[in-house]
Amino acid sequence: MATVGSALLLLVLALVTYATVASVLAGLRRDRRLMRSAGNAVMAAFVCTVSAVVLLEIALLRHDFSIAVVLQHTSRTLPTPYLLTSLWASQPGSLLLWLTVLTGASSLVTLQNRHKNRELMPWVTAVLSGCMVFFASMATIISSPFERTAGVVPHDGFGLDPSLQNPYMAAHPPALYLGYVSFAVPFAFAMAALITRRTDARWLASVRRWTLFAWASLGVGMLLGAHWAYVEIGWGGYWGWDPVENAALMPWLAGTAYLHSVMVQEKRGMLKVWNVVLVTATFALSIFGTFLTRSGVVDSIHSFVQSPVGPALLVFLSIVLAFATTLLVWRLPLLRSDHKLESVVSREATFLFNNLLLLAFAFVILWGVVFPLLSEAVRGVRSTVSVPYYNFFLVAFGLPLLALTGIGPLIAWRRATPGSLWRTFRWPVISAAAGGALLALLGLGSSWPGLTAFSLCIFVTVTIGLEFARGASARRAIAGGSWPRALIDLVSRNRRRYGGYVVHLAVVLLVVGIAASGAYGSVNQAVLKPGQSMQVGGYTLTYTGMRSTTGPNYVDTAARLVVSRGGGTLGTLYPAVRDFTDHTVKTQSNEVDIRHDLRGVDVYTILQGADPSRNEVVIKALVNPMVSLIWLAGLVFVLGAAITIWPDPREARQLARRYSTALAKEA
Amino acid sequence: MSTAIEAAVVAVIVATVVMAVAWPFLSPEKGAPEQALSPRDRSRLELMERRDAAYAGLRDLEQDHRTGKVSDEDYQSERRRLRAEAAGALRGLDTLDSEPDTSSPEE
Repeated sequence: MATVGSALLLLVLALVTYATVASVLAGLRRDRRLMRSAGNAVMAAFVCTVSAVVLLEIALLRHDFSIAVVLQHTSRTLPTPYLLTSLWASQPGSLLLWLTVLTGASSLVTLQNRHKNRELMPWVTAVLSGCMVFFASMATIISSPFERTAGVVPHDGFGLDPSLQNPYMAAHPPALYLGYVSFAVPFAFAMAALITRRTDARWLASVRRWTLFAWASLGVGMLLGAHWAYVEIGWGGYWGWDPVENAALMPWLAGTAYLHSVMVQEKRGMLKVWNVVLVTATFALSIFGTFLTRSGVVDSIHSFVQSPVGPALLVFLSIVLAFATTLLVWRLPLLRSDHKLESVVSREATFLFNNLLLLAFAFVILWGVVFPLLSEAVRGVRSTVSVPYYNFFLVAFGLPLLALTGIGPLIAWRRATPGSLWRTFRWPVISAAAGGALLALLGLGSSWPGLTAFSLCIFVTVTIGLEFARGASARRAIAGGSWPRALIDLVSRNRRRYGGYVVHLAVVLLVVGIAASGAYGSVNQAVLKPGQSMQVGGYTLTYTGMRSTTGPNYVDTAARLVVSRGGGTLGTLYPAVRDFTDHTVKTQSNEVDIRHDLRGVDVYTILQGADPSRNEVVIKALVNPMVSLIWLAGLVFVLGAAITIWPDPREARQLARRYSTALAKEA
Repeated sequence: MSTAIEAAVVAVIVATVVMAVAWPFLSPEKGAPEQALSPRDRSRLELMERRDAAYAGLRDLEQDHRTGKVSDEDYQSERRRLRAEAAGALRGLDTLDSEPDTSSPEE
């Protein structure tokens, strides 16, 4: 099995190398047959990569410990779902996943563009195949998933890292990888547009959905990771500004900037250079994110992966940046703006401010991530950047960004007059001021960032509500019909705009969840004997004894905590310490227990320690208000992204008409 | 899996893949050479994008006016500007279509 798997990956390397060379030649010679052959090679590479994944999964399920990654990351008692997901627990397995997603995305691009974008496609394929050559080389030369176990094959494996034994691990890494990898598609189209001098809006239209898909996948991946951290890592929070979390956030921020600035290019013919820079930065940050995740150069909760792929990824990143910069400089004269910014009070100016804030935020995060490496290189001492640094900039950049989320949609393109500003913004501003005052009276003034965030959330929510209400009203004035019909018509005729507003609503929910849990939460820690209680955020937790349960590959030792409030018992929580029985060295994990209520308050309990000789436990308890809104934001985000991504037949017809008429030779 | 079976499986996979990659050269369909865009094609594309951007701008302006984001005065002036832009692009397309195409594809 290992032989066939290794042969498949070698074949993939050969195929993508051929596809790179053939597509470059096809682009230079304008040879359709060569291009089709390159496309077939890309699709064959995908089939071979998937076959390699299937073989590795079979090896994992059959406990084939003659393959090193199976030995190092599984055991005979590991539950079947975790046997399947352990594929991406290992370094070689996760590189294989990268390669699978990249070959899959490239194949889909090939199929989608079989009869269109003929001038761009050879170069798109060349860029994508070039990326695949790199990852296929790593999967065959540096870090093969089919490497054999050295010496005598043991009867049992070493077991899977405890933190990875969580259902969220089934979806979190694949979603992140879908995001990281899919950003290669807009990058490839941007490079192809520069190479072929097709710097018109065609490439933007071709990659719009891919960009949205990549951006949405990365967003969903981060939220799944946040939920995993919340329920699995056991420190009470969902986001710790860990370098690997930051690695995913940076391309997402750059991608968010691109999604806004691309509208300025489409509407006003401006920011063409900036858009290419953003697409390149987003893809480069995705590679950098993979480097951080896979190299182990920074201390992280994800530091279960240490490997030699780091230098190779840095070389690849340098090549990507050098290639894109050279092309951009070469084609700079083609990227002049059609218009100039006429007023700082306009939608395009709002998008520009939004871009600057998003990029500045991405940059300060990048600085925080690389600072330990730089300080070690320069001074020989590794200094880390702590959470307050990130939180300061989250407030400094996040609050103005939130305000722009409300301002952008309501302001007119080109320029807005004071009269129209007052008409448009009076109700959102009055609502935000009144809501903020009311919240201050209710005692939320203890945190000014929290209060400001809530007020701005009211502002944004009212602007979104007004947009839907005014839009539906205008629709009814034109077409008549009921309000629900008008609303459906409105959204279906303007999917990008109104899907975007739904995403903005998700941002509001996210901010409320983050602000409430960050600024108004409570925490307490206590040593308890049976019958003793502790207080946290108005709740009483009474320790009543221990409980032991056995799973397939672990034993849980849990403290029984009765939760009450105002004299009434609300339930029982069982925070536990889990001892894994399938690891050769003593391996434990914290299994937190959380009580959610309908008011959106989480009572979060952690068993910090237990001393059976003294009959004591150490309990840390947190009361986290409104964390559930963060997970709800995830669902709303997916809904908004789906509305935006969903194909619009009228738009497709218009694009087809434009490009087929303009380029009769392509048909 | 024995070594012989593994070798046979690999051989079958390699043969299939080679066939798939070589197929465009073996199939009867002739590969017409691609043509690059001529300067005329590029001008046409640019004009069509300008025309469509002006149309989209007019649609958005209409919506913004109906929803109160744009005053009557701004609406009228912006509408005039966008209509002039669309008309300019349409005139450009008409001119382009009435001239014979003598340009050659760019390298």
